[in-house]
Amino acid sequence: MKKYVLIRLFNIVVTLFIIATLTFFLMKQLPGSPFDEEKLSALPEDVRTAIYEQYGLNDPVWKQYIKYMENLVKGDLGKSFYYKDKPVAQIISERIGPSALLGIQAIVIGTAIGLILGIVAAFRHNSFWDYTTMILAVLGVSIPNFVFAALLQYFVGLKLGVLPIAYWESYKSTVLPTLALMFGVVSVVARFMRNEMLDVLNQDYMTTALAKGLSLRAIILNHALRNALIPVITVLGPVIVSLITGSLVIESIFSIPGIGSLFVESIKVNDYSMIMGVTLLFSTLFVFVVLIIDLLYGVIDPRIRIAGNKE
Amino acid sequence: MSKRKKWLFLLVLAVCLVLSACNFSGPSKKSSEDAGKQASTAAGDNKTLNLYFNNDIPDLNPLKATDMISFSVLGNVLEGLYRLDANHKPVPAMAKDVKISDDGLTYTFTLRDGIKWSDGSPVTAQDFVYGWLTEMDPKTADAYSFILTDYIVNGDKFNKGEVKADEVGIEAPDDQTLVVHLKQPTPYFLSLTTFAKYFPIKKDFYEKNKDQFGKGPDKLLYNGPYKLTSFNPASGVTLEKNDQYWDKDNVSVPKINIKVIKEASTALNLYNAGQLDYVQLSSEDVNQYKDNPEFGTTTNFRSYYVQFNLGDKVLANEKIRKALQYAYDPKVLEKVILNNGSKAAYGLIPPGMAGAGGKTFREMQGDLIKPDVKTAKRLWKEGVKELGETPKLSLLVSDDSVDKDTATFLQSQWKKNLGAEVSIVTKPYSGRLQAMRDNDYQMAVSAWGADYNDPMTYMDLWAAPKNAFRGNYENKAYIDLVLQAKKEKDEGKRMAALLKAEKILLKDDAVLAPLYYQGQAFMQKANVKGLVFHPWGNPWDYKYAKKQ
Repeated sequence: MKKYVLIRLFNIVVTLFIIATLTFFLMKQLPGSPFDEEKLSALPEDVRTAIYEQYGLNDPVWKQYIKYMENLVKGDLGKSFYYKDKPVAQIISERIGPSALLGIQAIVIGTAIGLILGIVAAFRHNSFWDYTTMILAVLGVSIPNFVFAALLQYFVGLKLGVLPIAYWESYKSTVLPTLALMFGVVSVVARFMRNEMLDVLNQDYMTTALAKGLSLRAIILNHALRNALIPVITVLGPVIVSLITGSLVIESIFSIPGIGSLFVESIKVNDYSMIMGVTLLFSTLFVFVVLIIDLLYGVIDPRIRIAGNKE
Repeated sequence: MSKRKKWLFLLVLAVCLVLSACNFSGPSKKSSEDAGKQASTAAGDNKTLNLYFNNDIPDLNPLKATDMISFSVLGNVLEGLYRLDANHKPVPAMAKDVKISDDGLTYTFTLRDGIKWSDGSPVTAQDFVYGWLTEMDPKTADAYSFILTDYIVNGDKFNKGEVKADEVGIEAPDDQTLVVHLKQPTPYFLSLTTFAKYFPIKKDFYEKNKDQFGKGPDKLLYNGPYKLTSFNPASGVTLEKNDQYWDKDNVSVPKINIKVIKEASTALNLYNAGQLDYVQLSSEDVNQYKDNPEFGTTTNFRSYYVQFNLGDKVLANEKIRKALQYAYDPKVLEKVILNNGSKAAYGLIPPGMAGAGGKTFREMQGDLIKPDVKTAKRLWKEGVKELGETPKLSLLVSDDSVDKDTATFLQSQWKKNLGAEVSIVTKPYSGRLQAMRDNDYQMAVSAWGADYNDPMTYMDLWAAPKNAFRGNYENKAYIDLVLQAKKEKDEGKRMAALLKAEKILLKDDAVLAPLYYQGQAFMQKANVKGLVFHPWGNPWDYKYAKKQ
């Protein structure tokens, strides 16, 4: 087990290195520079060159790459161009909090509701509950979350006036954005859970469990849920990462100072060090979530021997 | 089994911990904002102004800021020698008066008595010298330093590291006197001194904070009508009246909350809920609200135009260029496509920009390019004949929705009125600029925002050495007129030269085809007065605002 984790960690470092390298060179292919090029275009050539020079942008790309990697190894993500020399690490740490809180809330509550809906739908197969759940799930998957966000904002925020329309000021501010983000999670989890449950319920060991006279609670928790959970966890992985790293649209609708907008906007304004910083953060989160999910497989289903399946 | 349960339990516990940690790290981190929170929950509190910006506030270091939002905040918390009044005219601010030498080259400012920084120390002439020199310092590498180096003697040489600081034409013989030596007579120099790059900086304070300067409310010293009490680039700023400000008796609003709201519909919802005092309308919302008494429009000094590339085989033909110029009506663009407060352009210099003798430049010049389909058709036919074949044309545009709609409008008008086939090439904003610089375009939808209130901010652009970005245009007569205007002391003669220059650029040489002057449609609560938007420089000015 320990050896397995160590090998995986080594792989993660290699993966991140490749991502950083690719991103760096691709990013340098973007036209323009981090400056307001329209204004810069009015300046004499030598003044413009002098400004690039100050930021090391006249060096060949490979030289800039080596410099960046050297700093990265030292744990320095560099300074933002757009936010005028503010350290990238500081900006990310200021912005990740709101996004992570919303993401985690949406995942925890959304998964819980989704699981319950999925289980109920499976046990009441082809009933009113089943159909209602599935209609909701299909709506949740097919309608983009910003539509929910806009509707919530207009009806709950403006018309009813019970929750804040926007801003990030108190715990109340998290409710509407969390709800908007949650619909997608609920739908995905409910749909998968129902299908897996239906599958599991038809297995022989379920008949055995029933014949043994176990209580419904024990059957669901110990036999059905455990076996049905594997695929659900697999789909949850990417959902978790995308929610923790923030949603550009939801954050901009509710005016939340999160990290979601940072990524897209840093690309728009060629904020090189910010693009790198956010990409590295997202990919690090992603590879670690994948690792944790792989480890969880073993915990949930002991038949999956992650460490010993090499023979 | 129970062991595993324990693990699961621990895992759940860990998740809970993360959750609660995030909860605190979010809003409670900025304790200074709690004050702001209380105020906005009591948004009914009738003296506080509630406003917003539609993008982040990247930085409040006046030496580094380059965007209109940062300039807006800075203009309210800091102040230069002069300040723009509600009619955008420069009036004495930190300076109480100025003596201008007869040749127009030496400005001797006398500072007001008793002007103070927010820490109580006096604002001195040395603070201006220090601020200006640091702005021009090559180490600062600010893309905006030209706004000083173009005017002040030896400014550009200092900026290139060729001369020392003491050779630059600014001096402070005593605490209250500032002498500035200019390279050429500059009738708009006083209005330049209202701009953020001309603000004073206190040396000790700047050197103590260096990298952190302007990064938080306690990392700036204030000498303007307001001071910052909270600042978060992504969520907004709070301004409170500065008790040390020399003219504090004329500042009526005690507190201003400015949030960052990127989504137009969110801002509109907040406005309708009474949580904002002002909202910008997107063109889809204009029709719904334009009869509302709270509705209004403003324009700023930003002109949009089609840049023709004279280095291109087809567009080297003057008749083709003129045909394209005359073949569409910007009025249709204004009414049907933009519908957001922007105004149709028949020239380059935006309306309201200073002219001479109490008239604006536009009033003196009138319309230059009037749509005329008949002439356009004739010129197109002649042009095609000269070329020997019907040309294929392409129009380069940035991929934002307004620019793309503009391009589609032009494409359809040129097709309908000239029968011209024009393809549209869409690129990201920086991609468009790059393509223009690389000479890889025929026509491009382009724009320029004024740096100061004088036509020179536009005319200077096409007088630069021949380059692809400005359409490979070079006309000695035009350059001479611009140079003459730069040297001319007499305001009437100077303006005459600039008027002639615009005529050559647009009418005679047809280097550009005017599109529109950028504007905004907005709504403002009836009890809010004196919210001033300057069309250039530090746009938003809250000094004159009143809330009843």
